[in-house]
Amino acid sequence: MDGDSQTRRSFLSRLAAAAGLAGLAAQGGILVRSCVPNVTYDSPSTVKIGLPESFADGLTFLPAQRLFIVRDSKVFRAVSAVCTHLGCTVHADVQQLTDGPDPGARPHLQVQQFSCPCHGSRYRADGTNISGPAPRPLARYRLALAPDDGQLVVNLTDEVGASFVLTLS
Amino acid sequence: MTRRRFWSLRPASTGEATDAILANLLLHWFPARMRLTSIAWTPSFWLGTVTWVLFVLLLLSGLPLMVFYVPSTREAYQSIKDIEHVVSFGWWIRAAHRIAAHLMVIVVSLHLVRVFLTGAYKNAGQREQHREWNWVIGVAMLVGTLLLSFTGYLLPWDQLAFWAVTVSMNIVSSTLLVGPAIRDALIGGREIGQTALMRFYLLHIVVVPIAMAVLFAYHMWRVRKDGGLARGDAPQDAAEVVVAIPAVARRVTVVALLTWLVVTVLALVIPSPLEEAANALVTPNPAKAPWYFLWLQEIVADTTVRIGSVAVNGAFIGGVVLPMALLVLLTLWPWLDRSPAATVGATLPRERRTQVLVFIAIAAIVIVLTGVGLLRGPSWQFYWPWQPWANVPTRF
Repeated sequence: MDGDSQTRRSFLSRLAAAAGLAGLAAQGGILVRSCVPNVTYDSPSTVKIGLPESFADGLTFLPAQRLFIVRDSKVFRAVSAVCTHLGCTVHADVQQLTDGPDPGARPHLQVQQFSCPCHGSRYRADGTNISGPAPRPLARYRLALAPDDGQLVVNLTDEVGASFVLTLS
Repeated sequence: MTRRRFWSLRPASTGEATDAILANLLLHWFPARMRLTSIAWTPSFWLGTVTWVLFVLLLLSGLPLMVFYVPSTREAYQSIKDIEHVVSFGWWIRAAHRIAAHLMVIVVSLHLVRVFLTGAYKNAGQREQHREWNWVIGVAMLVGTLLLSFTGYLLPWDQLAFWAVTVSMNIVSSTLLVGPAIRDALIGGREIGQTALMRFYLLHIVVVPIAMAVLFAYHMWRVRKDGGLARGDAPQDAAEVVVAIPAVARRVTVVALLTWLVVTVLALVIPSPLEEAANALVTPNPAKAPWYFLWLQEIVADTTVRIGSVAVNGAFIGGVVLPMALLVLLTLWPWLDRSPAATVGATLPRERRTQVLVFIAIAAIVIVLTGVGLLRGPSWQFYWPWQPWANVPTRF
């Protein structure tokens, strides 16, 4: 019986040690898991950015959303200002144009290219990456009109293809 | 014989010196006797001790900074400004903290270079040694040093801090599968905000320093167990052995005072930068990583790979894969280095020539890339120091 009790005793102590270790591991896991947030307080991803009429033809930069709105008469596009390499805000190299000979026309900004200050990536005016480490074109986001007040609404989580535009009737 | 109340720097006999060590908690830090080769100025240059002194200076200067610093996005920048301009001697304490941190990165790297070049991670001699594990601890402490420096970088909450951390968090989240989860755990969301500041602050003042202190204690204990400074199979000559007190205590004091002096003087002459308050809406041009990560920044900017229509972001290759591979290689090197134990302590022995040359080549590349990174100007263009930077708009 001595051998048996030895076996039982060593089995039980091993079991106890394993249970203790499992408990420690579980609680360690709990501590780590608690650091991964369930709720974040990041800025909202769907935002109203203003009435379509408030945007001049050409380019408008919205710093809070890090977003460019490109307007061509009734056609609107939303192009991200976040570099696809490491997330710095790209600069738009622009040229100021006035429409035709009419001196009263509102001046508007025409993009030559976008360039990133962090690692020198460059994008064409349509957002296609042309040089530097950027792996992808600048993101395009879905634009819509708010049904309640007619403002433009951009959804910063809904990436759309290069062909997507919002055309107003 | 009358016993002294305090231990003496000039003990009358070896017996008295040994008694002093036994009677004093602090003096137990040192072994009773040490080999002269272990406490020689070369080849160790006492770089490990210098690092330890810098760590202690960082703890001491960090305390008053913690009194005034507020880890909140609304108040952090202003509280650093107060430390810089309002608190008595605050500017000097902050400068000393910053200089000691930079020096710690430099000295700990030099320490690693020295240990590698002399093959000090190899076990030689009769007694059982595990120097390879002390090398691993050392690599972990190098990472800890970089982590301490980097988490401290965000705390002023200025443009420099904000964008360096934005870039590095994008590197973290570029890691396949687990990247975004690691980023969420580190900064508590997608954006660098209050949660990120709080987490970096806690890492900076609690988590990493405690881990470093534990690792450091183990590091020193291992050095003692392994018989002091690594050397070839030298004859165990009794004449080479000295009583630790006062011989070692005296040298440690000299090294500590010299390190303290250098930090003090540099803190007087090198002001600490504080840029504009952090602004998530404006990326400064140029936006650079801290100097010890500039070589990595050069690599992430050059390693975007295109295979057909698929592009792999340089952030992943240059920011994750390459540094991780280097780190793993560095960690495992004691097991990969098959050269004979007799090469320990020798400079450029024939058996280790290739690995030493490769190591020096990698170190040279890192240094050159750091230099290139330092010289980058607006829009990531390269400028020689005498060339004026192009006048580009710094804001959109």
